[in-house]
Amino acid sequence: MPVNLTPNAIATINGGDVNLKPLVQVLDIKQMGSAQERFRLLVSDSVLTQHAMLGTQLNDRVKTGLVKKGSVIQLIDYICSQVQKRKIIVVLNLETIIPDCEIIGNPKMVSDALTQKALPNTNSMQSSTVGYNNLSSQSHGSNMHGISSALSTQNHGGNMQSFRPTSSNQNQGSKMQSFQPALGAQNYGDDVQSFRPTVQPPYQPPPSYRNHGAVMKNEAPARIIPISALNPYQGRWAIKARITAKGDLRRYNNARGDGKVFSFDLLDSDGGEIRVTCFNAVVDRFYDVVEVGKVYLISKGSLKPAQKNFNHLKNDWEIFLEATSTVDLCPEEDGSIPQQQFSFKPISEIEIAENNSIFDVIGVVISVNPSVPILRKNGMETQRRILNLKDRSGWTVELTLWGDFCNKEGQKLQEMVDSGFFPILAVKAGKVSDFNGKSLGTISSTQLFINPDIPEAHAAKDWFDRGGRDVASMSISKDIVQGGPKNEVRKTVSQVKLEGLGRSDKPDWATVRASISFIKTDTFCYTACPLMIGDRQCNKKVTRSGNSRWQCDRCNQEFDDCDYRYLLQVQIQDHTGLTWATAFQESGEEILGYPAKELYFLKYESNDDTRFADIIRSRLFYQYLFKLKIKEEMYGDERRVKITIFKADKVSYSSESRYMLDLISKVRTY
Amino acid sequence: MDTSKPAIFVNGALLPMHVRKRVRTVIQVVGADRGAVVGKSPDDLQLVVKGSPPSAPLTNFVEVIGIADSEKSIQAEIWTNFGDAFDTYNYNQLCQLANGEYQHLFL
Ligand SMILES: [Zn+2]
Repeated sequence: MPVNLTPNAIATINGGDVNLKPLVQVLDIKQMGSAQERFRLLVSDSVLTQHAMLGTQLNDRVKTGLVKKGSVIQLIDYICSQVQKRKIIVVLNLETIIPDCEIIGNPKMVSDALTQKALPNTNSMQSSTVGYNNLSSQSHGSNMHGISSALSTQNHGGNMQSFRPTSSNQNQGSKMQSFQPALGAQNYGDDVQSFRPTVQPPYQPPPSYRNHGAVMKNEAPARIIPISALNPYQGRWAIKARITAKGDLRRYNNARGDGKVFSFDLLDSDGGEIRVTCFNAVVDRFYDVVEVGKVYLISKGSLKPAQKNFNHLKNDWEIFLEATSTVDLCPEEDGSIPQQQFSFKPISEIEIAENNSIFDVIGVVISVNPSVPILRKNGMETQRRILNLKDRSGWTVELTLWGDFCNKEGQKLQEMVDSGFFPILAVKAGKVSDFNGKSLGTISSTQLFINPDIPEAHAAKDWFDRGGRDVASMSISKDIVQGGPKNEVRKTVSQVKLEGLGRSDKPDWATVRASISFIKTDTFCYTACPLMIGDRQCNKKVTRSGNSRWQCDRCNQEFDDCDYRYLLQVQIQDHTGLTWATAFQESGEEILGYPAKELYFLKYESNDDTRFADIIRSRLFYQYLFKLKIKEEMYGDERRVKITIFKADKVSYSSESRYMLDLISKVRTY
Repeated sequence: MDTSKPAIFVNGALLPMHVRKRVRTVIQVVGADRGAVVGKSPDDLQLVVKGSPPSAPLTNFVEVIGIADSEKSIQAEIWTNFGDAFDTYNYNQLCQLANGEYQHLFL
């Protein structure tokens, strides 16, 4: 289906236009950023191409496939920014016009297109009907075909071509560039409505803008953009956001002298969040202005990469306010901006979370220990208070309060629990630690909310009052439960298969009580590279180099001794069936009870097959609690479910009995 | 398992319901009193077990099977050493299951 991209769109946008709303085609999509996902498009107007960053609020369009390679999109809200002398389009809103389309025209890649040269002269902006007289003739060649086909199909009514203002082509004679949306809607015919963007940019440039082009400094108030669209490449911006947290004023002393600093966190109506930091004189300007819970219009300031050690907001950037920055209180409450933003996870998920990851949880405080003084590594004394939090997943976790939290929120919580209340506690940005199983701890940016007025809190209270209180507590922190079952999704072998575990994007985890019924011994371990790469061992398979030395291709080094690591294929079996699973180093050793090296030497150096076989046989038919990671993977064209034994614990009959008794008591309730 | 002479799982509190019947329980040995062994039931009540213990020394926990001859004593026929570590909580739960809703599943 022929479609015309907006001629000269790239050059026009580079020239500072924000109103053209051009049709462009996506030639490529690249994912950028690590902490915060961002997509960069390569867009074409059929002649030239340009990079365009998507505001993160548009990420879903890419993820859901609404915007993909080949898509023809209409840019609705966008600005052109300069990054290191290169221009980039920042897209805040767009519509997909044709989801999938062959490449239109013969676009030049960014590198060879001298986009800056193709700037339209400013006169061409004056009137929509004049169009781009200075369009270089080269762009016509490939375009003409498309345009004439569009003309030939203009009678088809409701089809896609009709969104082009083809009816006006006659009026324009040979000038086909009738792309300006400024053409009255009545010219477009009814079907145009269906694609016209419903979202208008909040900021309209003043009339003078067009006459002077982008070179002229735009003195209109900066447009309000979503926090998620902020990036260092924008000149002027404003955001409207609520202050969700305000840090203490801190003084520091370093090589450059004394100084002071404070930070606060912002949240906007799109759910975007960002930290704002002020230093020295700027602190004096804004420290007293900033009040938690209020909404402000904030403009000007520089964006710098977020300090991920201290800042756990979902944003790659942090705003540094400057002398010219403005922070203006919005007198009217804006209900579209939430008071706080949480992304609560069930406590049960903390157990498989990585150490030091940041979690929001909400639950019922079921016990609070007294505050105790603790000597920190640096010799300073601080306070520590441990409490237990139980949530609707039925699990409890230890939450360790440090420092001021012990006396403020901690004291309050203790009084409540002591007098028989079980308060709801929302923890924003708690840090996972693997101290004592898994636990949560406060960090400087943690926020605690006691009995917050949010739906999740009411749900937690409701759950607790209607029986959650009596559900046997199982803790993912080791202290409370004595050898009891840890957080786990129990499955049988046949459930793992029948429920199709591993087919989603993320691996599934399951705990299976089963025995080892077979161990493959022809290859059970491999020779691994012992060298350290950073803080990790290389572990790549090494090969013999000469007679005695080993060689690692990755490290490109030779050494005398290598490491031996398990790569063990076993069958595990329970009363419902059996399956293959793979155990690596740690779990391999848990299963066989010997280091891989010892068995390797037994088999390949001493050639003691009898003893080797005895050891293998002695490990069969023991019951283990296997923690399995289940993920479907592609092997060539074939999809295969791969099961990895993450952990193999000998069954403790005592705790397993408790687990089963608990199951029986649950059966009884229904 | 010998199914010809079933023995009911009991703890200290359930024992009085089964006087003159064949029962089994696990006691934690506390001491001896006039030829009988004094122990603690899984629910922490004191029980007296009569009869002749095996020649091997008793471990901390011992299973006994025999006739309940009073509300607080058992005339034991079979003594089995259960070692020095035993989860009495689980055993107590088992006794309750065997005398409750799931009684029909037990011999
Ligand atoms: Zn290596």
